[in-house]
Amino acid sequence: MPVVELSYSRLQKLIGKVSKKQIADSLPFLGLDIESENQDLVRIEYSPNRPDYSTDFGIALGLQGLLGIKTGIVKLNVKKSTKYPIIVKSSVSKIRPFVTGIVAKNGKIDDKTIKQLMTMQEDLHFGIGRKRKKSSIGIHDLDKISFPLVYTTTDRDHTFIPLNSEKEIAITEILSKTIVGKDYGPLLGQSSQVPIILDTNQKTVSFPPIINAAVTTVTTKTKNLFVEVTGINKEDAEDMLSVVATILQSAGFYLESVKISGSNNSTPKLEQKKIKVSSSLINQILGLNLTPSKITSSLKKSRLDASSKGSIITCTIPAYRFDIFGSMDLVEEVALGYGIQNLEPTISPSQTIGKINPVSIQLKSLDQTMIGLGFLEALNSSLSSKRVLYEMTNRDSSKIISVLDSKSQEHTILRDSILPGLLENLSRNIHETYPQKMFETGIVFGLDNPVSEKINFSGISAHKDANFTEIKSILQSALKIGFGINIETKTITNPTFEDGHCASVVLDNSQIGIIGKIDSKIIENYKIRVPVVGFEISLSESILKSL
Amino acid sequence: MSQVFHEIEKKIILSLRDNPKQSPETLEKSTQLSPDQIRRGIEWLRLKDLAIVTESKSSIIRLGKNGIESFQKGLPERRLLNLLKTGPKKLSDLQKELGFVFGPSMGLARKNNWVEASSDQISIKNIPSELPGEKTIKLIGENKISKDKIDIDDLTTLLKRPDFIIEDIITSKEISLSDSSKSIKLTESSGEIDVEAKVPETFVARTHPLKDTIDEIREIFVTLGFSEILGNMTQSSFWNFDALFTPQDHPARELQDTFYLDKINAKKIGTAEQIRKVSESHKKNWRYQWDISEAKKMVLRTHTTCVTIKHLAENKPDEARFFSLGRVFRNEKVSYKHLVEFNQIEGVVVGKDASLRNLMGIQREFYKRIGITKIKFWPTFFPYTEPSLQTMVYNEKLGKWIELFGMGIFRPEVTKPLGITKPVLAWGGGIERIAMLKYDLDDVREFYNNNLGWLRSTTKCQ
Repeated sequence: MPVVELSYSRLQKLIGKVSKKQIADSLPFLGLDIESENQDLVRIEYSPNRPDYSTDFGIALGLQGLLGIKTGIVKLNVKKSTKYPIIVKSSVSKIRPFVTGIVAKNGKIDDKTIKQLMTMQEDLHFGIGRKRKKSSIGIHDLDKISFPLVYTTTDRDHTFIPLNSEKEIAITEILSKTIVGKDYGPLLGQSSQVPIILDTNQKTVSFPPIINAAVTTVTTKTKNLFVEVTGINKEDAEDMLSVVATILQSAGFYLESVKISGSNNSTPKLEQKKIKVSSSLINQILGLNLTPSKITSSLKKSRLDASSKGSIITCTIPAYRFDIFGSMDLVEEVALGYGIQNLEPTISPSQTIGKINPVSIQLKSLDQTMIGLGFLEALNSSLSSKRVLYEMTNRDSSKIISVLDSKSQEHTILRDSILPGLLENLSRNIHETYPQKMFETGIVFGLDNPVSEKINFSGISAHKDANFTEIKSILQSALKIGFGINIETKTITNPTFEDGHCASVVLDNSQIGIIGKIDSKIIENYKIRVPVVGFEISLSESILKSL
Repeated sequence: MSQVFHEIEKKIILSLRDNPKQSPETLEKSTQLSPDQIRRGIEWLRLKDLAIVTESKSSIIRLGKNGIESFQKGLPERRLLNLLKTGPKKLSDLQKELGFVFGPSMGLARKNNWVEASSDQISIKNIPSELPGEKTIKLIGENKISKDKIDIDDLTTLLKRPDFIIEDIITSKEISLSDSSKSIKLTESSGEIDVEAKVPETFVARTHPLKDTIDEIREIFVTLGFSEILGNMTQSSFWNFDALFTPQDHPARELQDTFYLDKINAKKIGTAEQIRKVSESHKKNWRYQWDISEAKKMVLRTHTTCVTIKHLAENKPDEARFFSLGRVFRNEKVSYKHLVEFNQIEGVVVGKDASLRNLMGIQREFYKRIGITKIKFWPTFFPYTEPSLQTMVYNEKLGKWIELFGMGIFRPEVTKPLGITKPVLAWGGGIERIAMLKYDLDDVREFYNNNLGWLRSTTKCQ
């Protein structure tokens, strides 16, 4: 979950009459987790579905509602204007077809505000922008731009001075030499043309979704902002714009509209939407008995507007709350406005009879039997490595199932056998007292339509007198007492076991596993200094009964 | 202090009274006990402060490979001088005769002025009767000898030469009686033993501590009226993600967070209707081109919720309580708090009890039964539940609130496409977290290390 750093004193200024403690106590009830605190600074984790909480402005709006200081919808006041046209050329339609934007005027921007806006931009890029693929934002100094703007495409040898640079460079160079160019360049594909926003003097304003031009850099001297959002989907671009517009308005800017035309683009509406929900659904889901007026006041505390007619609640939702899909989302908003801390947990008697799965019951009984036989239970990961599963044990690795891009070398392959892991355990415990006797039951995986999962059972015994007779006796007794079945053993050879001390485990004429003395070379591979005997059998098909 | 002595102890004490300082080896001879009995007896007496064990280190010298050869054939330079006894010889003949020791021996002989060379003839100049090192070689012979019995100057000339001399440090023990043991009366044995003595540890065979917690949680769920369902660890992305309303371009679905199986795709992911309705829900709400090939990618389940939702979609119960418990996977860096594979418990309630307060009530009851009473609920976000909450439990040791289970009510966007009409309360969380609290561990990796020291010593949690 994304993290944002805020200052209590700034929040206090934004919210109004409120103490630091009240803020700290209320944050979790907005769904925000306090990650750490250091005097005035507080680091907060917020959910990716609420990008408005990426700034203190957004969090202040939420807290005002929750604390009852200001409730109801945050209405966007956008003055209609024709002074800021953007004309879209059809050439962008195959690359990044949509652009939208807004103008924000007469705001005060200090260093902290710039930092907040940049965090918001990055989080929006990552979250709803899906790493700038779906949509991306450029924030500019309005006074450095001459309208109308053109959103069009240009050759890759087009040059301009990008943000944080002093010299003019070509787009090919931006893409091959800068970090943002390398990270986001692939979004533009292979085409020779790339999107560009030019002003009326042919001056480059932005090269979306990669980088802005240096000339429009926002500084603490900036008074008026121009925000553009480009993307591959009109709704996503406008969702993103609605968050930025709401935050800028809360930061004290006056909004004016940008007039967009051409190639299926149009001026954004940033409209509120209305959703109806019945108070009975709300009460049923929350387990409460709230009156319609309590419901509407709760929704207002969640910074929505609501009115009731009979049992039907009509809720008005601002554009930036695109996380609200339907009635259940409103149930949650009521719960938040009502206060989770005010919901008293209840328990209704169970009308169902619980039961453990028969497979679990049988496995537990096998565990108990093995413990009676003096074996300690081990637990190993299902994800193992080629080294442990095949190289050390001399096993056939032709049918391995591996995972992609594991961050851990020891966890790359799904185990097809339990025994190698147990040998690895012995290897790590050579300094501990012998005898060492361990067992494990667990899932093993096989390549089959597309992957089969079976439960195997394996045991090992390591000490100076370990021998075949001992381990056969153990397995035989475990299965006899655990499941009432009798097994036989038939001579075979297997690369993991010593010739002449290895057998297949046979039940009703079918082979269910293997048993024997581990080959001395394998024992050496694991640096174990005593003889080891062991077995592994499949429980799934032959022994376990499921309902 | 008990004054009951084992026969072994008595024999050792008696022997030491006769002969006050002895090595374990001499004690073996004087008492007729085995080395193991002597070792144990000395240890018992030492623990009772009745015997004193002093250790001393001494250096023992023996010949190495080249030393032995020199013992048998003479030092290389002696062999050179012997060859020259019969008169001057050609350098090349000497070289042939002595092989690779010619060089060093010739060097030594010239340096010490034993030989002289004119053109390529080598002749004897003056031979000492005993060459440096010869005395030591003879003395050691093929035996070991203590370093302090050797002429150090003579030894030093050999120590510099490769593989002539090997030095071993030997620790020897000397056992003597302490003052307090001198007054002890040794009575005839009447069969009594020292019941206060320390005894060796017996290692208990047991179920794995984590398994004990898993079993305990399973029992609690059953007593709360829940039935257990099982499901596969390998799942199609369809059930792990799509069916749970996680869009196909969601960051959680990326390779760096989720384990995808290499080159393996699901053959059948669901019924035609399930696929159609789920894809419609995605297209309508998330506005993107849903791709079936993405849904067919096989993953290691990232939660047990995929098992739950599949079961719900297949059975569509109006009223039910069930739980699913098992391993889940995250492609993370392994650390003291993260494993790539851990256990998760998940429970659901379907039906008329399905209210948020009721969900909170079941949680409170569950925690009470595992011994956690200080809890609170905070709102949170999960892609597939609405409303969503998380439980915070107070950890006395850390002195802070920590997050435990997540919970919520399945979104209609999840349930409707799969034909589930009743509200479904769901919650779940990692079992290792609870087990860590119970076993007072700060490193979650301990559960899967199978470190016998820990497994054999940890107290069972009830």
